[in-house]
Amino acid sequence: MNNKDGFTSAFLFRILVAGAVLLLAACSEPARELPVNTRLGGDFTLTDHNGERFSLSSLNGEVVILFFGYTHCPDICPAVLARVSQVYRNLKEQGEADRVQPVFVTFDPERDTAEHLREYLPWFKADIIGLTGDVPAIQKVAEQYGVVFIKEEGDSGGADFSHSDYIYLLDQQGRVRKLYPADFNIDEVVADVKTLL
Amino acid sequence: MLKRFFSAVLLAAASSGAFAEARIEQAWLRAVPPVSPSMAGYFVLVNDTDQPLVLTGASAEFAGMAMLHDTSTDGEGRRSMSHLKEVTIPAGKSLSFTPGGRHLMLMKMDSVPEAGETPKVCLAFQNHADLCGAFQVRHNEP
Ligand SMILES: [Cu+2]
Repeated sequence: MNNKDGFTSAFLFRILVAGAVLLLAACSEPARELPVNTRLGGDFTLTDHNGERFSLSSLNGEVVILFFGYTHCPDICPAVLARVSQVYRNLKEQGEADRVQPVFVTFDPERDTAEHLREYLPWFKADIIGLTGDVPAIQKVAEQYGVVFIKEEGDSGGADFSHSDYIYLLDQQGRVRKLYPADFNIDEVVADVKTLL
Repeated sequence: MLKRFFSAVLLAAASSGAFAEARIEQAWLRAVPPVSPSMAGYFVLVNDTDQPLVLTGASAEFAGMAMLHDTSTDGEGRRSMSHLKEVTIPAGKSLSFTPGGRHLMLMKMDSVPEAGETPKVCLAFQNHADLCGAFQVRHNEP
């Protein structure tokens, strides 16, 4: 590449960057809108903690915080449950929780029956909907959301599930708008939820 | 006054080397619903002795089964737990058990201690007497 070409491509690059910046500026109105994740998500039907059929789409009009786990997992799962609950309670204190719904899906329907979820979840004081179902149905939901989990009859004292721990923020149309790691920042999620109300 | 006296004693003991010991610090259990089948605990084990310590397990009166677990994360972000059969803490070092990593796991519990309680949990060693500590049950990490 000779000098002139170098100059030209650098110049072109600058124009491209300037154009991109302009485009970004145009797209980011209104400020801070969360992009729709088109690769993940979708409606599904499972059984809720009252033993009733439950479809995600019945929550249209509400912002959903969706997360996965199992109640025999004592380390990360209760921590995530506690943090999601804290998000909900913070929103409630601010009078912003009316159209917010935390939803917990178990990987472990054998042990996490509707009855067990009904006893387990209220303790977190966040009106969490617990969902269970048969293994293929749960597997399908996990696939929709890109959740990976494997049941392991390991040496850790009973069946155990290795799993990813993302938390999903869904908008009022049930579309995935953001993913968070298990150690998410509570204030960040509270602020994000408010942008979708 | 009393506190100052004890500090002075501690200082004297530490400098003479006579106070070298192993101890449990920052011990806590994560509060879980009363119907929970298990509970996790966290702590820092400080080995101020002049010997490496080999930690092999744990026990608690209220739990039929207690184990030390390790957590590993694979390339796809899957986390899994495994039984930590023994771990060596070199002399003068400490080892942390923290959420998402190494942890104490209590199973087959007769009753689940509530937030605010401080049940006793003991750690077992291959080459040291059991070390016991009050583990504070709490909702959030200290
Ligand atoms: Cu464990």
